[in-house]
Amino acid sequence: MDIRKAVITAAAPDQHTLPLQRLVDRQGQDKTALQLIVEEVTGAGIEELCLVIRPGDQVSYEQAAGEHLGMIHFVDQTEPRGYGDALLRARDFVGDDPFLHLVGDHLYLSDSDTCCAKQLIDIAREHACAVSAVQATRENKLPDFGAVGGSHVARHTDLYEVTRVIEKPTPTQAEQELIIAGLRAGYYLCFFGMHVLTPFVMETLEHLQSETVGHESTPAALSSRGANRSITLSDALSVLAQRQKYLATELKGTRYNIGAQYGLLIAQLALSLTGRDRDHILTELVELLAMRNNRA
Amino acid sequence: MNRLIDVILSSDAAIRDQSLDAVCADASLDDLLAQCRELDEFRRQSDNLYHRVRALFFLAAIYRYHLPSRLPVSNTGLVPFAGHEHLLERRFQEAIDCFLTDQEQHGPSAAIASCLAEAYHQLAFQTLADQVRRSVRTVRGNQWMFRIGHPDDHPLRIRRELLNRGDGSSPSPLLCERTSVRMDFSHSAWSDIFFLGMDFPEGARVLNVSVDLGVRGRDDAPQPPIETYLRVIDQPVLRLVSTDLGASTDITSIPEMFDFARDYLGLLKAAVIAAGLVPPGLEGCDHPMSDLLSRMVGPGLGLEVVSKVNDIPKGSRLAVSTNLLGSLISICMRATGQVSSLTGGLEEADRRIVAARAILGEWIGGSGGGWQDSGGVWPGIKLIQGAAAEEGDPEHGISRGRLLPEHTVFDEDEVSAETRKRLQDSLVLVHGGMAQNVGPILEMVTEKYLLRSEPEWTARGEAMSILDDVVEALREGDVEKIGSVTTRNFHGPLQTIIPWATNRFTDLLIEHSRKKFGEQFWGFWMLGGMAGGGMGFIFDPDVKAEAQDWLQQTMSETKRELQTALPFAMEPVVYDFAINDRGSWAELQAGDAAMMPDRYYGLLVPGWLKREARDLSPQTRWELEQLGETCRDSNSDNSTSRMLLDRMLPRADKDESRVESLHDLLETFGFDREQHEQICSDLRAGRVGLSQNRLPSTTEITDVKSEDVIDVRNGAEARYVDLGKAAIRGGEVAVVTLAAGVGSRWTEGAGVCKALHPFCKFDGRHRNFLEVHLAKTRKSSREHDGPIPHVFTTGYLTDAPIREHLEGHQRYGFEHPLFVSPGRAVGLRTVPMVRDLRFAWEEMPQQVLDAQQQKVRESLRAALIGWAQQAGEGEDYTDNLPMQCLHPVGHWYEIPNLLRNGTLREMLERQPSMKYLLLHNIDTLGASVDPGLLGLHIDGDQTLSYEVISRRLEDRGGGLARVNGRPRLVEGLAMPNEEAEFELSYYNSMTTWITIDGLLAAFGLSRSDLDHPSTVDRAVRRMAKRMPTYITLKDVKKRWGHGQEDIFPVAQFEKLWGDMSALPDVSCAYFVTPLQRGQQLKQQSQLDGWLRDGSAAAVKALCAWS
Repeated sequence: MDIRKAVITAAAPDQHTLPLQRLVDRQGQDKTALQLIVEEVTGAGIEELCLVIRPGDQVSYEQAAGEHLGMIHFVDQTEPRGYGDALLRARDFVGDDPFLHLVGDHLYLSDSDTCCAKQLIDIAREHACAVSAVQATRENKLPDFGAVGGSHVARHTDLYEVTRVIEKPTPTQAEQELIIAGLRAGYYLCFFGMHVLTPFVMETLEHLQSETVGHESTPAALSSRGANRSITLSDALSVLAQRQKYLATELKGTRYNIGAQYGLLIAQLALSLTGRDRDHILTELVELLAMRNNRA
Repeated sequence: MNRLIDVILSSDAAIRDQSLDAVCADASLDDLLAQCRELDEFRRQSDNLYHRVRALFFLAAIYRYHLPSRLPVSNTGLVPFAGHEHLLERRFQEAIDCFLTDQEQHGPSAAIASCLAEAYHQLAFQTLADQVRRSVRTVRGNQWMFRIGHPDDHPLRIRRELLNRGDGSSPSPLLCERTSVRMDFSHSAWSDIFFLGMDFPEGARVLNVSVDLGVRGRDDAPQPPIETYLRVIDQPVLRLVSTDLGASTDITSIPEMFDFARDYLGLLKAAVIAAGLVPPGLEGCDHPMSDLLSRMVGPGLGLEVVSKVNDIPKGSRLAVSTNLLGSLISICMRATGQVSSLTGGLEEADRRIVAARAILGEWIGGSGGGWQDSGGVWPGIKLIQGAAAEEGDPEHGISRGRLLPEHTVFDEDEVSAETRKRLQDSLVLVHGGMAQNVGPILEMVTEKYLLRSEPEWTARGEAMSILDDVVEALREGDVEKIGSVTTRNFHGPLQTIIPWATNRFTDLLIEHSRKKFGEQFWGFWMLGGMAGGGMGFIFDPDVKAEAQDWLQQTMSETKRELQTALPFAMEPVVYDFAINDRGSWAELQAGDAAMMPDRYYGLLVPGWLKREARDLSPQTRWELEQLGETCRDSNSDNSTSRMLLDRMLPRADKDESRVESLHDLLETFGFDREQHEQICSDLRAGRVGLSQNRLPSTTEITDVKSEDVIDVRNGAEARYVDLGKAAIRGGEVAVVTLAAGVGSRWTEGAGVCKALHPFCKFDGRHRNFLEVHLAKTRKSSREHDGPIPHVFTTGYLTDAPIREHLEGHQRYGFEHPLFVSPGRAVGLRTVPMVRDLRFAWEEMPQQVLDAQQQKVRESLRAALIGWAQQAGEGEDYTDNLPMQCLHPVGHWYEIPNLLRNGTLREMLERQPSMKYLLLHNIDTLGASVDPGLLGLHIDGDQTLSYEVISRRLEDRGGGLARVNGRPRLVEGLAMPNEEAEFELSYYNSMTTWITIDGLLAAFGLSRSDLDHPSTVDRAVRRMAKRMPTYITLKDVKKRWGHGQEDIFPVAQFEKLWGDMSALPDVSCAYFVTPLQRGQQLKQQSQLDGWLRDGSAAAVKALCAWS
């Protein structure tokens, strides 16, 4: 499986400016979040990148993209119809190829010399199937993520055969359907915001969307999935898990959601504390704490 | 191997299902003790829960039923106080160790056997309860709720549909769930008890049907009786409203949610917790509710949960409360996306998780239901059966079955629409008016299941086959056959296992139905755990309408006939019903339709109107405007406006009549206002009270010596027997039965006449205490060929019922003079002093309850202390039915009453040869005119001979002691400390032989003085002053709503007969008599053991019924 394309979604109404935020990277360089994301994918050998954005955002994204602008295709999501629809806008770009998918509001820090995207692509290549990066997550975070259930792949640590995918499950559902042997009680495998997907996922998204449009107004559709609920990637991955081999893996690294409250600050701290300016930042933090304590 | 251990371990059903009785039948005392030692060792080492539990029940039963009968009759022992304390603190293991050590040191005795029986029994039930609880917690889908410890960790979010307020001017959408109740065709002899399903899944099967109800003559058509509502509100509180109980609260902090007994909303709280809205893991978290709500619903927002049960009274045996819990849990889980669909029906997986949460809710709220009880959440007719625990189940390796059963809903191919209709056309569903606690019955069933006694085990098998017969009849559409099968079930297996499943009221109704309708009465159908409340009568459809009217009338008449004998909570009703084929169902109402039911507004609007409009939230203002529109609408039926007017404008206060009639009653029954005021003032000033009842702590209390008592447990010598026989023949003795008390413990404060309670079947018919005592006197009289008059002393509550009953039953054909001695004194109950409540609950040793129930109890006690303060400590208690405000003033008065009311004079006139009285309590069923004891009394020439029995664990409340060196009876209330009582070998049975002339002399009277009432009155007053007055707390029930009952502790005073033994000028002797003669039936829960240990048979042998 050869993976040379990547799709990044950044069109959500409350998130579309996030990739434009500026941070200081591990080497002390001033960069936009978009640059950091693009570096993550190029480090994994990706040659072409599709960025799904809101109409009108392209100019600012072009400015934020830096030296990698040449490899980026911009696609507009003309109406805010949700995550699944955003991904589906890249259908033509993807064609019949497998692709790497990242969300635009996450930054990834690898704990090893290999970046997170590269770790994921290596696994997908080895097993020749779709793979989602996941992270053991405490149940109180379940309302924010999609989660998977399944079983360990023999002779591989941190690799799981996925049988069930639920978007933002309640802990009741999670406990009944998503328990993974070996995880601490109350922890579930939630999406890391990074996937290697096959063209089947695009087909499924398209199919699901056409179904929803057809039944949007019926009460049954509303009550079973919730009124106004749009198609998510999890819906398509749930179908994928039933039809094809689909794996999930825990990467050696951490994701940072820069869209959450203080997310950007925490991501910046994480970058700095693992980089060149670690001592400087630590000193500043200690000073801050000391001042705070004195006042208290 | 030990045969009992073999029975427990064997995989061969023929060995495993042997009864304990059969195995123990030939064992000697030493054999039994050796077997018990090995069995105790075995249960300590066994890893298997069910082996342990069965061994514990075996041990309990051996010590209760088998060992005492093998002990020498004259054994005497003490109850070790340390062991008793362990029992109270629920340290059962330590208690057992303590009792066993005592047994090793002092040898076996009835006292220590009773202690061990109780400790093993309690440990067995504790072990079972712990296992069920563990299973409830480990059900997948429930576990997470116990891990959430902080509001910030809360993982649930309200569904967006419920937040959608449209243009902002209308209220939040309103989610409404309607749920039916369940009615069981057969529960295979209570096989829905959790433990049974978990140990014997193949035998745990229930067939039940979801039904909608309407009260005949009141409702137009049957409706799902349970409605629950949920919506988002614009205040950061969790508002709980129970429209049927008329209670609402705004919960602002998390700890309030776990305070169950603070108000009537315990069930709603349990539901909200079990549904995970406030997960049980948050208990003890001291955060405001708004923290949790802002995370789950949104900043500044809250939730409102409302319940409405359409006036279905308690005790309906239709599992109303469990299904209400299920409905509330379902609506909360829908609102938070925990079940898949927001509206419409529930999927099977959803119903299962709702049922699991309902079980959790029952545990949290400290109540208990069976696993079939949430059946109303399911649609139609379904078979519910236990399921074997398989790998992957949390129960696997621990129990044979799973906690949760499997439900199979019968479709129309199996039970046709025609059959369903026919069933509706034949069955008359009623509530007989009794609302009894079914808990003790379920405990008995569990115990009997484990002991496998032959008749009961056979009955269980029969009950299982009866369920198959019902299913077959349903498939065939043969309703008449269903009637015959359910009748067979009721008269056969159910009553073989639990004779207490029926009562005189039910038996009479069946008898009357059979007599009235003959072949057209197709059968009786017991619902739930016991009869008397909800019940079914099956008739030929041609007479159903007539039978409904007739049953309503007959139930009311029969109730009137028996209401002084049996505890009725309400007037009987006949229901209309319909099978509900869609199960619990939810709808979402938005815009103008999003209004709560009328009764909700009736409850809350008066409070809203008292506040400034600007202080009301926009949503509340909108609702008020909508209500205004409805009331002004001339096209509406105006029921809403009438209801609101009723709630807001005052009506004539009916309480005035209540106060007046209480006043009349006090006048009638000889209330001594002066004495009452004195006692109240002493009570308020702290001069009398629970702690002041006690003898000074310097009092020396020791056990009596052998020379202080006359031991007649092996029978009296022949010369005494002869002396007694001669006295009977000479007409020298009469029997006095004390029947003035209201039997507070017998019916937990329901205020019925215990003497008339038809408590047990003898010779095929329920008979009451009164009849049994007369039958004993009749037999003694015949055997010894002498006339024995019988007197029943009565009080304000029991006098008229006893007189009417005796007349109505032609005095049971009693051949000798029969007297009713009316009471001449009555007290008025008072609101207790907080000091006394605290003394009773905090300083006296108390039985600690199971963890969750203990929490509920503590919360309730805090509320009751608040009530006492609010109602006024030491003030008159008048907030109840007048009869419930009065109290009898202690059995001491019942004897002087014989003197004052002329009964003794009349007795002596009619039988001048009379010299002696046998006085006993209404519940001392073994007391009879025994010639040996009478002879001993005559020979001793003392005024009073008290009968005492060797003490067992349950015999609490004083005893025979040497007080400062002199033998006398000491009341439990007077014991200077708790421990003192445990040093005493003998318990006072209250049965007393009295020499009439000696007694009169003690009062300073002679026979001739009985003709002078004023002389008698003076003498009695003089004596009363010498008797100590005790303050006691008694539970009194206050009934309200539809069969609802609150229990209040009230203070009252009493003087007790045993204190006559303290008078230096009254000569007394003490006879140690056999246990069966002296034991008393204080609580209905004793009945089963009493029947099984041979006591009932012994009583029967003393009786001649006609």
